[in-house]
Amino acid sequence: MRIDMTPMVDVAFLLLIFFMTTTQFKPPEEVSVDLPMSSSEIKVPESNTITVVVTEEGKTYLQDEKGLTAEIPEGGVTDALKDARQRKPSAFIILKGDKNTKYGAMADVMDAFAEANALRFNLMTEMKTEQKPR
Amino acid sequence: MGGMDAGEGKAPAKKAGGLRHPRRRVGVRVDMTPMVDIAFLLLIFFMVTTIFRAPQAMEMNRPPKDAKVEVAESNVMIMMVDKNERIFWKFGEDPLKSVSKRDLVRHFKEHKAANDKLTVLIKLDREASYSTMVDLMDELEYAKMTRFSLIPMSEEDVEEVSEIP
Repeated sequence: MRIDMTPMVDVAFLLLIFFMTTTQFKPPEEVSVDLPMSSSEIKVPESNTITVVVTEEGKTYLQDEKGLTAEIPEGGVTDALKDARQRKPSAFIILKGDKNTKYGAMADVMDAFAEANALRFNLMTEMKTEQKPR
Repeated sequence: MGGMDAGEGKAPAKKAGGLRHPRRRVGVRVDMTPMVDIAFLLLIFFMVTTIFRAPQAMEMNRPPKDAKVEVAESNVMIMMVDKNERIFWKFGEDPLKSVSKRDLVRHFKEHKAANDKLTVLIKLDREASYSTMVDLMDELEYAKMTRFSLIPMSEEDVEEVSEIP
């Protein structure tokens, strides 16, 4: 007895094409950060963003949508953000901090944001998988 | 094959075709196994590498710099987190009481239930980690307390906390 494999192959190819088209490879990042966990469910917008990265050592970088980064000199966050906002006035501002960064460094960056009149921004986090007791 | 035959009939000048022996029709069965193998291999590869979970975001809305919100002191719960990530809380000038990270949600919920106007003031040591801040914000979100203040500890606060063993 021969099993007709055609439907299986059809489905396999369908799935293959689906996964091929939906896969997005992570753009290579020059600075890598370990994101903190949260159970927030707001999605990070994919385009029209200004991303400020804070590494574990407290260094700040400005990251564009292609994953390219430019280091921000110390104390230059306000100016860098103002400059980036001038180019993209309606962009979402994302703050991407390493979970091991000191709070002080993050507080400074957030104060610099406020200085640049960016009072609304997103903190990028990773989805927490464990369920909380309610 | 049929198309080729028709072509020969219309253009007899093409001698090359005529020289060949008429081909017999053979039922060709292509072995599909390698193709299916590759297809499944790719399928599994893309399934494994696909990331559906895009990073999440927490939204922060800060009041303008000169905005002042007056809150009665009795409605303010002060939370303090020192550099060793120990968490303490107090009302007004009460002594600090310790609370564990695991009990935070319950702690917030209980106090919120007792006093609906409760506001939380979080004072974090500058040496505490950023993930502690995110954790605290997360717990507050769970307790549906979305309005809170977040400030670094002053030196007096650091001293006050450091006295607690």
